[in-house]
Amino acid sequence: MNGASTGRKSLPIDPNTHEPLPPVRQPGYYPGYSTLAQQTFWDAKTRSVILHRVNHTPPIRFFDSEQAALMKAVCDRIIPQDDRDPAYRIPIVNYIDERLHEDKIDGFRYENMPADRDVYRLGLQAIDMLAQDRGGLRFVNLDARRQDEVLKSIHDGNAPAAQEIWNHMSIQRFWKGLVSDCASAYYSHPWAWDEIGFGGPAYPRGYMRLEGGEPEPWEVDEVRYEWQTPPDSLSDVYEPAGGDSEQKGHPGQGGTH
Amino acid sequence: MRRFRDTDEVDYCIVGVGSAGGVLLQRLSRAGFQVVGIEAGPFWDTERDWVSDEKGSHQLYWTDLRITGGEHPLSLGENNSGKGVGGGSVHWAAFAPRFHPSDFRVYTEDGVGADWPISYDDLKPYYELLEREIPIAGPAYFPWGDPHGYPYGPHPMGGVGNSLIRGCTKLGIRVSAGGPVAILSGSRGDRPHCIYRGFCIQGCKVGAKASTLITHVPNALESGGEVRDCSMASRIELGPDRRVKGVHYFDREGREHFQKAKAVIVSGYAIETPRLLLNSACPGFSAGLANSSGTLGRYLMAQAGNVILGRFDHLVRLYKAPPAHAMTEEFYETDPKRGFARGFAIQTVGPLPIAFAKQMMVAKGAWGWGMRRVMMDYNHWSSIAVLGEILPWADNRVELASETDQFGIPVAKVTFNLHDNDKKLIEFGKNKVMEVMWAAGAEDVVQEDRYAHLVGASRMGSDPETSVVDRFGRTHDIANLFVCDGSVLPTQGSANPGLTIQALAARTADYLISQGDRIFNSNSRDMTQPPIRYNLSPPGTFWKGMPRMT
Repeated sequence: MNGASTGRKSLPIDPNTHEPLPPVRQPGYYPGYSTLAQQTFWDAKTRSVILHRVNHTPPIRFFDSEQAALMKAVCDRIIPQDDRDPAYRIPIVNYIDERLHEDKIDGFRYENMPADRDVYRLGLQAIDMLAQDRGGLRFVNLDARRQDEVLKSIHDGNAPAAQEIWNHMSIQRFWKGLVSDCASAYYSHPWAWDEIGFGGPAYPRGYMRLEGGEPEPWEVDEVRYEWQTPPDSLSDVYEPAGGDSEQKGHPGQGGTH
Repeated sequence: MRRFRDTDEVDYCIVGVGSAGGVLLQRLSRAGFQVVGIEAGPFWDTERDWVSDEKGSHQLYWTDLRITGGEHPLSLGENNSGKGVGGGSVHWAAFAPRFHPSDFRVYTEDGVGADWPISYDDLKPYYELLEREIPIAGPAYFPWGDPHGYPYGPHPMGGVGNSLIRGCTKLGIRVSAGGPVAILSGSRGDRPHCIYRGFCIQGCKVGAKASTLITHVPNALESGGEVRDCSMASRIELGPDRRVKGVHYFDREGREHFQKAKAVIVSGYAIETPRLLLNSACPGFSAGLANSSGTLGRYLMAQAGNVILGRFDHLVRLYKAPPAHAMTEEFYETDPKRGFARGFAIQTVGPLPIAFAKQMMVAKGAWGWGMRRVMMDYNHWSSIAVLGEILPWADNRVELASETDQFGIPVAKVTFNLHDNDKKLIEFGKNKVMEVMWAAGAEDVVQEDRYAHLVGASRMGSDPETSVVDRFGRTHDIANLFVCDGSVLPTQGSANPGLTIQALAARTADYLISQGDRIFNSNSRDMTQPPIRYNLSPPGTFWKGMPRMT
């Protein structure tokens, strides 16, 4: 699974030069930081789980080839990775496919939602119907701006087509499930930890500098740089997901307390 | 480990070896009873099974299917349900405050919710006992409710705790720093002290955070108790004499068994306990075993758990230190000026990257490049949560769904609605925490609606018409069937329920021990308060060593 939308230029811009920032191995503000470089300090079980995640991209088994290509295009907009060197992109679709193939769920299903596998089958159909409605093309063939318009209409809870599918499942819950799955796949990967400066596995060594945001000896200081979102993108605006008030208020799911 | 046969009629069969079940198994075994704990999940080997990784810890949670609905549906699973020996205590963040004296008489004081059939004073000696057995680390003087101190010293502050202290100090709000948490600030026996790696809710591989898996179950096994893991209870069998005879369950290969027992204690927590009793419906109890009141499954509660996220110019690195390390209960009690009954606590939380990304999706509507950008600032954010009291309502309940699980057992359907008082409390609480976050110096503050913990649905009370169990956890309907876990709570306060659940388990154990064989051969109900047994703690865990409170 590499670059379905080949040739698309959707790169962040350097605000000083107004030139696209070339793809790099590791975006983010922690240059040279590597959690994987610390793996000898991890416990054996954790090391095997993380290395397996990095070195064994699960094959596509749940999605058919057309669905997989569509999912790839969708995930490329929900968690864009155009700023990453192609060899260092995280295989989000494969991780989602693995979850659905194994039929692993979070422990519940909303009473007004189909089972997760059906949610994806229906949701992908709906996305292509929205693409046809907006641009007369399959989603994979739309340009980045049009793709973002389709996705934003789902984010806003205001999709102008595929009504028969949204009657069958909540558009807001579909959106949140999709973004959650993409984010969970991306931010479970050590390359994403390096990008955001997260410490990664920390047993048995632990931390000694708890205060003041100071780095451990093996972490690095933050070095910020300015970047502008690619001009063909609509996703750098923070607006709460739309929909009726009941759906808007639906609570978070990730474990914190 | 001793192993009983299904055909052995053991004294007690406990369903669920979690926070309550672990303590019960330890106490009853130590007192000489023959006890089997049936546990749906595995008996963890923490070094071999657990990982220092967010995604890889999914197995700790109850991820089997449940249906959730209502106007404000609860998410279930990773946030509030454990599976495996230790249960929810394996993945709790481990804040361990006591309930306040007012929590036991909410109806009398505020005209809402319910009164407990016991008082704070009935539970206080068990709080003191469990705070040492677990043990709890925290300040020498905890000023709220019934003021008290903690046996282990407070933990050092992380970045999130510092923002809570800074914000509260600006606003003149008192803070408890470094606890109370069930995490060792110094080593004890073969348990090491905390290493501040922040993976508490992924299961403490270190062994510093308490779970009954390491605090009580080892002594239960030494005392002759059995844990039968990967065993899913499906039905409790009632005999023609209206006494239970044992528990039907499926083993790890899916084979069906029946464990005979003289008495049964259900400790499956707020969803699985009512589910099992509902699935045990039989002639005479067509609406569910021990449900003559019709209240089984009702009065389910979750606490408001809104997370307020603030971005700071400086680095916070919120992944370091236990998520639970500073709190305030300054807003815990009813204040008539606020226009609603009861209150809330404010506590630190520490979302790891996946949880944080999901929070940014809800709180900021982040996706696409916006998600990538805000996540690159992960280390600049701090996170403080409301823990607010939602009242018990009859329409918040657990029923059976038409779907079944992998064993063919009907799964739970959970319905949850917020009521007027709850909505006002949540609104006030989240605004107060946002105020704290701004006062701490944040430059951007957003919030996510969420819920934490689950209790109720099999509540205790004096009146058999309006409750499922009596004040010792015995079902009103069946003399040798007990419920002991978070589901018996009539109200929940604004305190994390873990310590109270374990204290109630130790109290129920004392009652059962004091009753001796009468539980097994008599239907009479002796409601005498049992003596507190100080000689049943796991060896070496109960001692004085407390700050003096005068």
